[in-house]
Amino acid sequence: MGAVLPLSVLFLWEILSRLGVLSEDGFSRPTRFFVAGARALADGTLLQQTAQTFAAAAQALLIAALAGIALGAILGLFRPLERAAQLTIDALRPIPSVALIPLALLLFGFSREMSAAVAAFACFWPILLVTIASVRAIDVRMLEVGRLLGFPFAKIIWKVAIPAALPGILVGIRVAAGIAIVVTVTTEIVTNPRGLGFAMTMAAQSLQADLVWATLLWVGVIGWLVNWGLERLERRWLRYR
Amino acid sequence: MLEARAVSVAFGAQQILRDVSFEVGEHEFVCLVGPSGCGKTTLLRVLAGLTPVSSGRALFKGDEVRGPQTALAVVFQDYGRALLPWRTVAGNVALALEARGIPSAEFADRINPLLEKLRLAQHAGKFPSQLSGGMQQRLQIARCLAQEPQVLLMDEPFGSLDAITRQELQDEVARLAKDERRTVVFVTHDLEEAIYLGDRVIALAANPGRIAEIVTIDLPRPRTQLATREDPRFLEYRHRLYRHLGH
Repeated sequence: MGAVLPLSVLFLWEILSRLGVLSEDGFSRPTRFFVAGARALADGTLLQQTAQTFAAAAQALLIAALAGIALGAILGLFRPLERAAQLTIDALRPIPSVALIPLALLLFGFSREMSAAVAAFACFWPILLVTIASVRAIDVRMLEVGRLLGFPFAKIIWKVAIPAALPGILVGIRVAAGIAIVVTVTTEIVTNPRGLGFAMTMAAQSLQADLVWATLLWVGVIGWLVNWGLERLERRWLRYR
Repeated sequence: MLEARAVSVAFGAQQILRDVSFEVGEHEFVCLVGPSGCGKTTLLRVLAGLTPVSSGRALFKGDEVRGPQTALAVVFQDYGRALLPWRTVAGNVALALEARGIPSAEFADRINPLLEKLRLAQHAGKFPSQLSGGMQQRLQIARCLAQEPQVLLMDEPFGSLDAITRQELQDEVARLAKDERRTVVFVTHDLEEAIYLGDRVIALAANPGRIAEIVTIDLPRPRTQLATREDPRFLEYRHRLYRHLGH
């Protein structure tokens, strides 16, 4: 059902292109870029670029999730610590992640780590904020149960606080996964000579509008697949509800 | 076994408990009863090490209670908040074993008899949200027993259950306490429940919370819902304690 809209847009696009209303130089034509996309898929270049982008985005998400959940759980449980960290968080959060590209280049050179570092910075904030809010909202009774049973503090975080906050945290991770792909592709377009972003830049420079469109739509497909996978994981983990 | 020695608790300017002293003997079943707002829950939390005193001391086997300890288990009234919703029935009981560092290979052998005892064996794989209120409360009790505590501190455990379930659970707790010779401190606002269960009933008065009267309940055990409640002595205790409930 949800496929009706995009399919009709593609159909209209094809007709307008064939009627000469849309210029082929920039807009290409759906039939053309499906061919270009199929060719790139068949010769393996598209998959290789996807793997590069995906690996960098996944690394970013993993780092951001580990750091964001751990720090978020601690700040969420201790009001005074959260107040002490508030200023730092509010000052760092508005920094555009793209502004970190020059610094990341100095630190990591042209590499997967460079893209991952920039994307991890961008992913960290939503995960951190959502974790703080979810942990703070945990019923104190549950934390008391943890203490009464004799768990040390770290175990209370691991066995009680994080699972209790998981529904919120998973939403944060799903939001961050989208950001990870966006920022990774951005770093590739701006500087990093790898992945899907760089593929689009190269295709544009050689005036292959069909390949630019094909890659762009492919990024959309990847993002949709990642979100679908995370939603399934969420349903599985939160099956108790 | 357990002792409150001149316990006072104040939250800011509000005095919750003033100068409360009593002792609970080993294997004794003591009920704390009083009108709402008399601080009976606060008193139980002090004994559990969850709420700090303003003055006085809570003692367990002669040592001051400074924080929660595994020898003291607490059954909360609001079972829905005390159970972990993402863990199954068996998983919630396992939590207590994990806390004690018991190897997971032994879990099944320890969990199954407990679930059997509390009539939850067929529900081991269910989540708390799939259980009735009475079953959830039995699960919380099973988890506390898995902790192998020396004292059970129960805070109005049956307060939010229907009358029939409540009577069933009263008999179950009385049996558990007797069979395993547990020491129990049981908070309730239900006078008849207190008399029915207790070896002694401590009546508290409110504003600030303090001891109004301590009554030893001399009724034969095992007690039964009909015979015990119709015993003239039961009615006598009820008359005697009734006035402390602010009526």
